[in-house]
Amino acid sequence: MARRLTRFLSKYALLATLAISYLFLYLPIVHIGLGAFAKNHAFPYPPRWTLDTFGRLFANSLYQNAFANSLILGVGAGALSTLLAAAATLGLMRHAGRRTGLYLVLFVAPLFVAEVLLGIASLIFNGLFLELQGNLVSAILANAVHCFSYALLIMATQLYRYDWRLDDAAMVFGASPTRTFFEVTLPLIWPGLLGAFIVTFIMAFNNLEISFYLLGATPTLPSVAWGALRYGVKPELYALATAVNLVVVVGLAVMFVLMLTGKVAFGHRPERERAV
Amino acid sequence: MKGRWSGPLLLGVPTAFLLALFVLPLVSMVVLSFWRTENYHIVQDWNLGNYLTLATEGAYVTFLVRSLVMASLVSVICVVIAWPVSYAIILYGGRYRLLFTLAFAVPFLTGEVLRVIALQGLLGPLGLINGVLMALGAAPLRFIMYTNVASAIGLVYLYLPIVVTVIYLSLLNFDARLIDAAKIFGASPARAFFEITWPLNLFGTLIGFALCFIPCLSATLAPRFLGGPNGTLYGMAMAQQFGESGTWALGAAMGVVLFLTSILAVLAVCLKVDLRRTGFTGFGRG
Repeated sequence: MARRLTRFLSKYALLATLAISYLFLYLPIVHIGLGAFAKNHAFPYPPRWTLDTFGRLFANSLYQNAFANSLILGVGAGALSTLLAAAATLGLMRHAGRRTGLYLVLFVAPLFVAEVLLGIASLIFNGLFLELQGNLVSAILANAVHCFSYALLIMATQLYRYDWRLDDAAMVFGASPTRTFFEVTLPLIWPGLLGAFIVTFIMAFNNLEISFYLLGATPTLPSVAWGALRYGVKPELYALATAVNLVVVVGLAVMFVLMLTGKVAFGHRPERERAV
Repeated sequence: MKGRWSGPLLLGVPTAFLLALFVLPLVSMVVLSFWRTENYHIVQDWNLGNYLTLATEGAYVTFLVRSLVMASLVSVICVVIAWPVSYAIILYGGRYRLLFTLAFAVPFLTGEVLRVIALQGLLGPLGLINGVLMALGAAPLRFIMYTNVASAIGLVYLYLPIVVTVIYLSLLNFDARLIDAAKIFGASPARAFFEITWPLNLFGTLIGFALCFIPCLSATLAPRFLGGPNGTLYGMAMAQQFGESGTWALGAAMGVVLFLTSILAVLAVCLKVDLRRTGFTGFGRG
């Protein structure tokens, strides 16, 4: 009886922690979300609905410009880091041999260097030693370094169970290495590539601490938001954060639905369905 | 991809990329830290003056100690919260496990600035908590407005998602049949947890700890917008060297100090742990 009681209590203690954590994470987001849609934006309880804030946000040419730049930054850094990480993952699994550990340490090292340090180091390197002005390209390259490690980890969890015998089989039957890659390997690993691209795109799109030091005078959404935040929180910033949150939620929701319907499997492992 | 060149190419290109854009910048930061800045100009004159300033001037030492205390505290809090959370997801998530984890990723992916804005909406003088208190007729809470407590809450908010994700992944890869085996041989649930689950997921936990500790140590945004006059942290002071004060060489030295401190902290934790006993299997190539 006592045992059952402890089990019951521990179950609800765990679930309560989970619920409180979600509350903690989402309360501010919901709060500013309501604030963005309300006339009484500071304390929107009950909200008096309006879309004026969003109107002002979308009409502001500074934000439009910044949005375009952020988009370029996100796509550039996301694509670059995903491609490099794909090459690195395949290389690690197939060709690294005994030096796997060494390569792996180098490849995940950016995770263990704070973003702001990466930004400052790249600023020093570009500005002082190469005498380059900061621009969108240098920001894309520096962001790609940080995103690379995340993309590598996402893809490594994906390809962990990839069966290389499929490639060997294709080649035994006479396919060239290139054909094997495009007809066997790529179709099987593309969900990993897509997942890595989505995540790295969002990360680079929203990054401030690296991009800030490398952008020069190019505005991006986070840097414009940072500039505005120094003069206090404005309802436009609430609207901006809410808009980005909505986009991220929709992106991840699409990913989730695809996974649930079994269209693609992002690291899904049926044989491990039962754990703990 | 079994061509003769594919191996060197697949590994070589990413390696070259990281050497050029990751290792070289860090090296140039170290080099700059031994130079001087005079009137916004860099003087190439090898000296230890920057490090001397950092070691002797009280303010910088205070910032560093404060950052270390803050980062350790925040990381421990994050791990303590993240364990039950990821355990609950694994145990009771069922087929919606992934959704629960993704829900943690949403705030993480929206970027620090936007999340600091959200936090100001929660903790600020006009924010949710104080708004509710004032609507109820109570006095606003002073300790969550522009104080170190606010910074700490902010940092937990910023980095909890990544710790949860890492510990969740560790638990997901953990073979639960080991627990069943322990229970069959008569271990109590608590004993099974402390002798099997915890040690075998220690490596994942440490990774989560490190991935929270390192960015916290050099946090710039949260202390700036949430911390008060006594809330300056090392990373924030470093960022100022590159902005307002223009003393790049001193900033580079601070960067080196931060880099070494975080590496040392991670190594110190890792050396205490025997990796083979923690479920670390290397990079599987099964």
